[in-house]
Amino acid sequence: MPDEKEFIQQLLNPKTQNEAFQQLLRTYQKPLYNHIRNIVLNHDDTDDVLQNTFIKVFENLNKFKGESKLFSWMYRIATNEALSFLNQKARKSGISSETLQSKAIDNLQSDVYFDGNEIQIALHRAITTLPEKQQLVFKMKYFQELKYEEISEILGTSVGALKASYHHAVKKIESQLTTN
Amino acid sequence: MKEFKLNTIPKIESGLKNPEDVYFEKFSENLLEKIGKKEPKTISLFRKRKAIIMMVAAVFVLALTIPLLINQAAHSQEIDTETLENYLSYQSNVNQYDLINALDEEDISNINSNIVLEDNTIEELLISNNNLENYILE
Repeated sequence: MPDEKEFIQQLLNPKTQNEAFQQLLRTYQKPLYNHIRNIVLNHDDTDDVLQNTFIKVFENLNKFKGESKLFSWMYRIATNEALSFLNQKARKSGISSETLQSKAIDNLQSDVYFDGNEIQIALHRAITTLPEKQQLVFKMKYFQELKYEEISEILGTSVGALKASYHHAVKKIESQLTTN
Repeated sequence: MKEFKLNTIPKIESGLKNPEDVYFEKFSENLLEKIGKKEPKTISLFRKRKAIIMMVAAVFVLALTIPLLINQAAHSQEIDTETLENYLSYQSNVNQYDLINALDEEDISNINSNIVLEDNTIEELLISNNNLENYILE
């Protein structure tokens, strides 16, 4: 976004809101889809979460104070929506979050929006053994190639802590993949 | 066993594919339709102004009631002289000696300045009341 402040004003102004929101959708729907998909894995679930994310963004535009970038604010909403979606789904099914993720990986091979092989399945399995925060950091850094500064703004964690988290995640994944 | 190093091998992609552009076009359409039925939550200017007026009124009420309450509290602690005299005379165990000991120089000088009696009056009092001699000695 060239001038974010101006763009936010356009989003808040009823006259320009519609067009501005369409632009927001065009800019962010793909990266946010990618971010949510990395967390929930399933395409249909991603579709639901992405929709909820944009609705929440729209409803809370007037609360956005511009203290962080629009990009990181939206990613933060998407992350929270995806995590609470997973927890809710696990609770409704009466299973743990780990079991739910394991099931999602089992279903990946039959997913039309997955073109991975055994090594990719093994990597996803190894990621599920990590604590929630380490999973997020690893996926955002390794798959999405976000900068530490960007992840820091999204997750509200210091860059130092993120580097340590990523380092631990890599070590655990390497150890998992070596033994398997 | 060959050690697995994520940094030394070519990057492993997630394998998660983005859907075709048609999906995103349809997604946008559906979302805009949904959002069209909703309005972003906005706080009206009237509600904002009403809140400010209420706050100002609350400050005024507090400013007016606090001095009244303080005054009332101060008054309730004051005891009038008559009540004090009655208490000392009939209710308390405080005797004359205790009272004399409780007086300091300033109190005595105040008493002196408040009671101004003519010499004749003093003489009359001394003649009519024999017990006064004892009080003076004490």
